[in-house]
Amino acid sequence: MEETDFQDVLDDWFIESLNAYKDLHVYQLEHPTQVLEWTSGKTVCVGGHGASKNEILELLLPLKLFADENKGLCAERDFKVVHGGFTEGPVRCLRHVPGSRCVVTNDGLSSDLQVWSVGGDDSDVIRLTGRVEGRKRRTTKSVSGGGSRIAARLSSQVLHGAQSGDVQLTQLTSGQILYTLETTSDDPLSSLQFVSDAVFLAGASNGNVYVADTRTSAAPQLHPAPASPGESALWWTDASPRAAVLRLSSSGQAVVSDLRSPGGAVSRARLDVQSGRGDPEVGVSWAPALDGCIAVSGFGGAVQIYDTSLWATEPRDAEPLFEHRGHAVSSRSGVFVAAHVWHPERPRTLLSAASDGSVHVWDWVDQSAAGC
Amino acid sequence: MPEIKVTPLGAGQDVGRSCILVSIGGKNIMLDCGMHMGYNDDRRFPDFSYITQNGRLTEFLDCVIISHFHLDHCGALPFMSEMVGYDGPIYMTHPTKAICPILLEDFRKITVDKKGETNFFTSQMIKDCMKKVVPLNLHQTVQVDDELEIKAYYAGHVLGAAMVHIKVGLESVVYTGDYNMTPDRHLGAAWIDKCRPDVLISESTYATTIRDSKRCRERDFLKKVHESIERGGKVLIPVFALGRAQELCILLETFWERMNLKAPIYFSTGLTEKANHYYKLFITWTNQKIRKTFVQRNMFEFKHIKPFDRSYADNPGPMVVFATPGMLHAGQSLQIFKKWAGHEKNMVIMPGYCVQGTIGHKILNGQRKLEMEGRATVRILFQLDVKLQVEYMSFSAHADAKGIMQLIRMAEPRNMLLVHGEAVKMEFLKGKIEQEFNCHMPANGETVTVTTNPSVPVDISLNLLKREMALGGTLPDPKKPRTMHGTLIMKENSLKLVSSEQALKELGLNEHQLRFTCRVPLQDPHSDPDTLHGIYLHLKSVLKGYTIQHLPDGTVMVESIVIKVSSSAEDPNTKVLLLSWSYQVKYFHLLKKG
Repeated sequence: MEETDFQDVLDDWFIESLNAYKDLHVYQLEHPTQVLEWTSGKTVCVGGHGASKNEILELLLPLKLFADENKGLCAERDFKVVHGGFTEGPVRCLRHVPGSRCVVTNDGLSSDLQVWSVGGDDSDVIRLTGRVEGRKRRTTKSVSGGGSRIAARLSSQVLHGAQSGDVQLTQLTSGQILYTLETTSDDPLSSLQFVSDAVFLAGASNGNVYVADTRTSAAPQLHPAPASPGESALWWTDASPRAAVLRLSSSGQAVVSDLRSPGGAVSRARLDVQSGRGDPEVGVSWAPALDGCIAVSGFGGAVQIYDTSLWATEPRDAEPLFEHRGHAVSSRSGVFVAAHVWHPERPRTLLSAASDGSVHVWDWVDQSAAGC
Repeated sequence: MPEIKVTPLGAGQDVGRSCILVSIGGKNIMLDCGMHMGYNDDRRFPDFSYITQNGRLTEFLDCVIISHFHLDHCGALPFMSEMVGYDGPIYMTHPTKAICPILLEDFRKITVDKKGETNFFTSQMIKDCMKKVVPLNLHQTVQVDDELEIKAYYAGHVLGAAMVHIKVGLESVVYTGDYNMTPDRHLGAAWIDKCRPDVLISESTYATTIRDSKRCRERDFLKKVHESIERGGKVLIPVFALGRAQELCILLETFWERMNLKAPIYFSTGLTEKANHYYKLFITWTNQKIRKTFVQRNMFEFKHIKPFDRSYADNPGPMVVFATPGMLHAGQSLQIFKKWAGHEKNMVIMPGYCVQGTIGHKILNGQRKLEMEGRATVRILFQLDVKLQVEYMSFSAHADAKGIMQLIRMAEPRNMLLVHGEAVKMEFLKGKIEQEFNCHMPANGETVTVTTNPSVPVDISLNLLKREMALGGTLPDPKKPRTMHGTLIMKENSLKLVSSEQALKELGLNEHQLRFTCRVPLQDPHSDPDTLHGIYLHLKSVLKGYTIQHLPDGTVMVESIVIKVSSSAEDPNTKVLLLSWSYQVKYFHLLKKG
């Protein structure tokens, strides 16, 4: 694309953004990140994924974003790097341990985890404080990747595993294994999350979802993969605080089901996810403060917001409520969004990170009459 | 070892004023001489007592270099040169020389007239100070004296801002001042060649930030202006003639064109005259786009932006006005502000920092009731209720964490020095830089001493070179140093390395050989030759790998050490071992062993 054309398209998008967004911040990291994880309401962690030495950074969001009444008097628009550390391998998964200043990472090459202390006011260094061994494989079935999914809860307990068959709950301080998921299956996982204090959900790439309670040793409840026509697809899963489970396939099939009724589906839709990439790193997430809304990223250079309350039991093509195209428009060559995350309290604020190192913070305006 | 010493003047952790002392190769240089805008007393000036307890600074400093016209870099210059006393050269770029005195005078007026201060420099002092200025061009080496040379590089940031390269002999320092690595609408990005200075000095203030993009800042500006205009409000933008005025005008013009907006935009005439004048003078300091614009038309010839007249301020309906001065401390912008402040629909956008004591500073701190002076035959005070919307926007261009790394990698210094940061809070950044370069972070008032390892060029005689090559086989390799024998001759300014024989010849001296002897008594009943033979056998068994010979003339040779045995006639059992070796011999340990 010609330079002037590129600038024109970019200018056009910025002009449109005047009405489309309340707040908009655009940053360029030195190295792209695949992880975005809140460590507090105002700080977020990112990590590089190059082959050798990488940085983990804790960034403070711009003060202007949070200055409500005196917003006009606050000129501060920049990220502040409040803590930083170095890691030997890539950071493929990063989770904050709630109620602590610890984060846990996995490099995607093995199932082991690294434990980090993010540091307080006295130092700006993120230090490696320990390691957690992943559960050893019982079978010799080799799995591509080998990276673990991680979920964390209070009291420094971390749930982790790369396959459904090796999920365990480890106490970080003692290293003690408090619980293991007993299942005969070995499905590679695409997500792992707590849906309550004791109940968790393990979403497999083949579409199966396992729901288990860490207080019992009972077998997990299986929500089988939705029937999908044609070739086997990859699936990604997210559960909302209201016990709704969303599953999205690589062909764009979206299914919302209830956590309490395995096998059923509440609503479906077909999303327009023209993927230019063979193996997309997809993120799907329910909005924490906007009922029924979800965000989807990873198929290309945009982040799409959908309102699932408009979906019906029979699948129909769904139009996004909003599309953030900032990354695609700002990049001269193909770019894809590697990660996105909703702000835990502000209803329409999201962060998104793309493969070119850009990180955007945006607060979109709902221009439809009804909906979220 | 040769050293470079760097001391940021100041106390404690305070940031906000730049004044750095550098000692290099016997020269003392002051980098910037800024005022701390947060203090009202002597703390706002740098602490010159570090240089000398009392008296003038002239004999202690070889030169002063100012990086750009911001007050936190040049605000204390007239105080230093005229009130403390300095008569040597002050170096700065041409635009800085033109703009500095204007800002200093403005600042002086505010401080003395508005705040009633007495211990401050006068207008005459500013003029006298500027007489000592020697202007610099970009990339031009200037000889301050026989040994000290300086060169200015483009820094971006503001018009005329420079990074400076200082060289004394084979040691060098680069000081960045404020700079930025991303070009904007009217300035280019900083650039320096791979000069590999011994020390690179930079501010760390923004080293731990990641900057929001220029376009997002502009978007915010356009959004605010648009919102006000849409509700029928008036927008006042107080600007300094050479700050962001040009850039913001271009931005609004483009926006108005695209959105087909009709509300009028004005700029005050004082603004345009000055701005045009300066941009014409310093066209090489702006970026390509501006230069092209200038060639095509007048800087302030816009379709939608017209010159302002005082009476327009009372016109009904929405409008945007750019007016000077930038901090609302006097003149047209203040007059307009007084008229518009009482209405909620209106807005004032402050595009930069405001000095304490100005209306701009007060409203940016949230003050909603102001005491104003009225213009009448009798001086009256009245209260102004500030009801309009106040917006503070920062457009200043600084390098962030990424930008700093870019610059460091461009220059490739041997040592990196970051000033104005809290070392404890910057351990990560230090660690990051130290992966590639040495890094120091002195506290204010603390001196960092950097030892340098300058390469000294020496000529070597062809004979000596040939001899060394014959020994070593390969060409000299900087990564594999090896020792060699020779004599260094220093004649005038040249250094020559020759072989010892040649040196002796040149000096007309004879070579002498030193030979040492040592007598070792030994009890041995055998005959002299037998004793000698016994020693020979013993040495042969103990000193394997060395050349040991038993010569027919009655001596044993271990390499080049000569051993003889003799005894006195009176006591044939008492032998004396005579050992003899020349000064060249390195086998003393052998002697001990044997």
